[in-house]
Amino acid sequence: MNENRRQILDLLAAGKITVDEAERLLAALEPDSTATAGEFTSRFAGSNGTTESKVKTRAKYLRVLVEANEKGEPTTVNVRVPMQLLRAGVRLASLIPAQAQEQLDATLSRHGVPLTVSQIKPENLEELIDHLEDLSVDVDAKEEKAKVRVFCE
Amino acid sequence: MTPNLALVHIETPQWRSIPLWIPLFLLWIPLILLSPLIFLIIFGLSIAGKINPWRAFRVLWDLSCALPGTHVRVTTEDTKVLVRIL
Repeated sequence: MNENRRQILDLLAAGKITVDEAERLLAALEPDSTATAGEFTSRFAGSNGTTESKVKTRAKYLRVLVEANEKGEPTTVNVRVPMQLLRAGVRLASLIPAQAQEQLDATLSRHGVPLTVSQIKPENLEELIDHLEDLSVDVDAKEEKAKVRVFCE
Repeated sequence: MTPNLALVHIETPQWRSIPLWIPLFLLWIPLILLSPLIFLIIFGLSIAGKINPWRAFRVLWDLSCALPGTHVRVTTEDTKVLVRIL
């Protein structure tokens, strides 16, 4: 049994959460759940005080927010990309012919990006996407008057 | 699921569009009609690029199925552009 699932059932058995709350948390664990992802943290009041339970759910979207001030004109860009699209995009990289991959790798390393496209395989794809779910990038360029936020939700 | 609808909304100081709902599901009609040709083109390109054609079909299908949920909004002081794929 999944550790998160067991944790929820333990909380239910201990009477720290109600059946409805357990149902909601279990639903959030489903891969196709509509619940917002990231780290789902809930506090439940138990008999011994407050218990904090962290349940990890899968991120569904990658959000890119850009706030810039170009020539005194405020510009906002808000892009939401489904994680599924990223998965498909990485799979698309595996379709690049081997010869082109070598050239791409060489060009990337020449420009200071030590990324080997040929090493992106379907088996490590899921791991890559899973790590992306923990990604959060905040760039605040005061000179350029721009703010960039990249995160998963 | 493949994308069924797209919403495009553009607002400029001179011109303001009504939210434009584009029925993407209607693309199935020309797509089905042209499917033999599309099949041959993808198959030919895959063979030329030494790629497994079935894998190419799978990736293209996955890409189109992953599009729903995409949301792009660009706002400047007087212009707004919104594109949503549902």
